[in-house]
Amino acid sequence: MRDSGFRDGAKAALPIVLGYLPVGMAFGILAQKAGLTPFEAGSMSLLVYAGASQFIAVEMISKGIIWFPIVLTTFFINLRHLLMSSTLSLFFNRNSLRALGLLSAQLTDESFAVAMSDSSKISNRPRYLLGLQMTSHLAWISGSVGGAFFGSLIDPKGYGLPFALPALFICLLVIQIKSPNHFGMMVIAGVSSLFFKWAFPGNWYILLAALLASGIGIIIKPKAQSSKLKKSFPSPSMGKDKWEG
Amino acid sequence: MNKETLALIFGMAIVTFIPRFIPIAFLSRWNIPEKIKMGLEYIPVAILSAIVFPILFFDGEGAFGIQPQFLLSAIPVFAFAWKIKSLWGSVILGMLVYWGLGYIL
Repeated sequence: MRDSGFRDGAKAALPIVLGYLPVGMAFGILAQKAGLTPFEAGSMSLLVYAGASQFIAVEMISKGIIWFPIVLTTFFINLRHLLMSSTLSLFFNRNSLRALGLLSAQLTDESFAVAMSDSSKISNRPRYLLGLQMTSHLAWISGSVGGAFFGSLIDPKGYGLPFALPALFICLLVIQIKSPNHFGMMVIAGVSSLFFKWAFPGNWYILLAALLASGIGIIIKPKAQSSKLKKSFPSPSMGKDKWEG
Repeated sequence: MNKETLALIFGMAIVTFIPRFIPIAFLSRWNIPEKIKMGLEYIPVAILSAIVFPILFFDGEGAFGIQPQFLLSAIPVFAFAWKIKSLWGSVILGMLVYWGLGYIL
């Protein structure tokens, strides 16, 4: 059944595709306005594949900023991938660097969250994650190229599309609430993220809120019963949450 | 593609790839101590909360303020996801509610 892993992953990506197509198009439109060709917009979506930094990059381009400050900004915006990659590392201890390279290059908030919603599906099964990520990536690239080509012909703000990704994130968030501790963590991270976003520019708030939460997680966990540790991830038997994607 | 754009895209690609690749490449080969595992456990819920909450309370320009259309759409999606953990269903429901609210608000 190893072959079906890729297909399962691709199927699981469909909600992400629904979100990435319009947002990708929005990026394509802005990229074209900033003077990029569809090929350049598509290349950025292919090689960088990080929405927030891509949007900020084209904004900086339209302001006439040269490449080096943009690359530096991109680095800081995308630092949060450190945390997601660290979390994923728990599930891949028998894979080649080449496989890990391919997987990590396509790591995004959305595919990470979908992968984590049922971690039993990814444990040392790179094909599932690959199917998930490549399908999502393709949608992102297609949206970008389409947006750059067709400009303002289609309205990515209609049909409730602006809420597609937020709705996906909300569902993924709910799936992660596996205990009262997780609920409390949601409140702590959520409320603190509001403060951090208000206080700091850019996307620092995500990284800061996540670090705060994991810091608290390290402190409070030792007080929990030791039997809970046996149930903590990762293990292939986890992911008993019932969900259909 | 001119040299400036080439340098930009490849530069962005490299600096984005490094934080994605280094942890999974190296940590997957180590035995991670329990303490660090405990810290990592809450990262998914923390990142997701940090993404969701600001959407409901900040506008597109980054100004703080309740976003009625997002906030009101979030409530039924939250409830639906709590009962039925369906990604597809949540996205469709959310889009419909948001779309409908666009006519009312």
